[in-house]
Amino acid sequence: MTGKAIQTRRFRLTRRRRDALWTLLRMLITLPFVLIIMVPLLYTAMMSVLPPDELYIRFWPSHFDFSSYVQVFTKTMIPRQILNSFIVAGSVTVLQMITCSMAAFAFSFLHFRGRNFVFMCILATMMVPWEATIISNYLTVARWDWVDSYKVLILPYGCSAMGIFLMRQHYLTFAKELHEAARLDGCSNWRFLGSIVLPLSRPALGALGAYIFLQQWNNYLWPLLVTSTDNVRTVQIGVASMYDVDSEQINLMMSAVVVCLVPSLSIFVFMQKNLINGLMAGAVKG
Amino acid sequence: MTPSPVPSALVKRKRRRKTLYERLEPWLFLLPALAVFVVFLYYPFFKTVYLSAFLTNRYGEAKVFVGLKNYTDILTGTRSGEFWNSIWVTVRFVFFVTLGGLTMGIVTSLLVEKRFPGNAFASAIFAMPIAIASSAASMSFKMILHPSIGLLNKLLGTQVNWLNDIRYTFGVICVLAVWLATGINFIFISAGLRNIPGELYESAAIDGANGWDKFRCITLPCLSPTLFFQVIIDVINAFQTFNIVKILTLGGPMESTNTIVYSIYLDAFRNFRFGSAAARSIILFLIIMTVTLIQFRAEKRSVHYS
Repeated sequence: MTGKAIQTRRFRLTRRRRDALWTLLRMLITLPFVLIIMVPLLYTAMMSVLPPDELYIRFWPSHFDFSSYVQVFTKTMIPRQILNSFIVAGSVTVLQMITCSMAAFAFSFLHFRGRNFVFMCILATMMVPWEATIISNYLTVARWDWVDSYKVLILPYGCSAMGIFLMRQHYLTFAKELHEAARLDGCSNWRFLGSIVLPLSRPALGALGAYIFLQQWNNYLWPLLVTSTDNVRTVQIGVASMYDVDSEQINLMMSAVVVCLVPSLSIFVFMQKNLINGLMAGAVKG
Repeated sequence: MTPSPVPSALVKRKRRRKTLYERLEPWLFLLPALAVFVVFLYYPFFKTVYLSAFLTNRYGEAKVFVGLKNYTDILTGTRSGEFWNSIWVTVRFVFFVTLGGLTMGIVTSLLVEKRFPGNAFASAIFAMPIAIASSAASMSFKMILHPSIGLLNKLLGTQVNWLNDIRYTFGVICVLAVWLATGINFIFISAGLRNIPGELYESAAIDGANGWDKFRCITLPCLSPTLFFQVIIDVINAFQTFNIVKILTLGGPMESTNTIVYSIYLDAFRNFRFGSAAARSIILFLIIMTVTLIQFRAEKRSVHYS
């Protein structure tokens, strides 16, 4: 009896040890992959505080020199461009949350002729690549004299098939009886959407909002085409053009990159769970 | 409102014809969305098709109807060499970036699948590239690849001009694209992994399956719908990659990174040949459509749905 007990205990011990070994191995293999993602960002941050005279001789800075950050905020157009980016990305986010939740409401709660056809027409736009529309869009807004304005950056992104799709996926989880009951009590569709559906959809709306904001914050080509003055230019254009203007001031450029990454990375950190779950709800069920 | 018994109200609602407002109401909900789609998606799409049949002036106004001449010029005419090169560059780019993105996605999500100290942190890092602007990342890589002070040359002890050397530039661009695609691949593939029922692994373990067997016979088949979906996303994204080419290489050296998308940009917004650029975009649209349809066809044969 005792022999058997010892045997099982030894078996357990070795098994635990083997598991620990596997965990260690896992960590060791994970580390280089984490580094692959992290190093470019850490390097950028390090270059932004490297004193200019050490650029060619040292690898690790002897001391941190934050003067380039002061310069970014006082001598460049970056602060104005950050403001522009916030205005544009914020407006697009709010606008899309409104248009997408309204359209998704019609597609999931209301019955009307041609509902499926219209929904298909909207989903089909996901297949159309941006380069098939961008030339004509550019010519259109140029003819309307919209170039160099906020509206030209905001209105073309006023709605998205992805947003409608995500919100509809979420609405489909609501019980139909909820809508019927509200209608019988004399609640209009508008009020039902505003005071029942939307408050219950906060997680989905948050995920959609974070997704749209990130997309707009990182948008590059459209703002590049339709803006030419710093009054409306967004920060991505400003940062990307710094290499041409200040090719010698490398840490200024790197500080600008860090500054423009901070908002999007903070949104990612704070909204990570919500954002990932929201995106997955669309992907897995769809 | 006069109180009325609920059942009769229900019956009444069903029999009554809908009022005009009730019939219009759904369209009111759709109006803002449809307005955006019509003005900035449907109309410009058909206008692009229309423009592709014309010679245009500097302002993009259609001037001379030329039928399919823009297309034949690109496909077989004087500029066909440049076009077919851009197709070849794009096809290779799409292939390597999709393969690399999927590999990174599978490896990273398998690594953090089991709990270990720091696995939540590693997951956050692997998902992070979705938040990083490709333009900002391109600027970082521009420094890393800098010929004299860049990190890569310092680490390797070399003096390579990574962004202007025909042997390396294409590869470097692919690596950056894979780096940027890691986030979305990781998120979707690890979601797919989490959806595989744990009992499958348990019963396989009882049957004496080793780790490789489990991966081959359970993980891959159960993951195949996710992987299929992810391949489509990766292919479409790779076809449309523009920012990193624009910021890092401008299509060079010697057009070795001149993707179709970049050549469309040059044609339209540098050379103001809007008709020809429109024709190129339609060709690209048809390519992407065809590839996606072929993938859906292939899905039926190779993807396993439980």
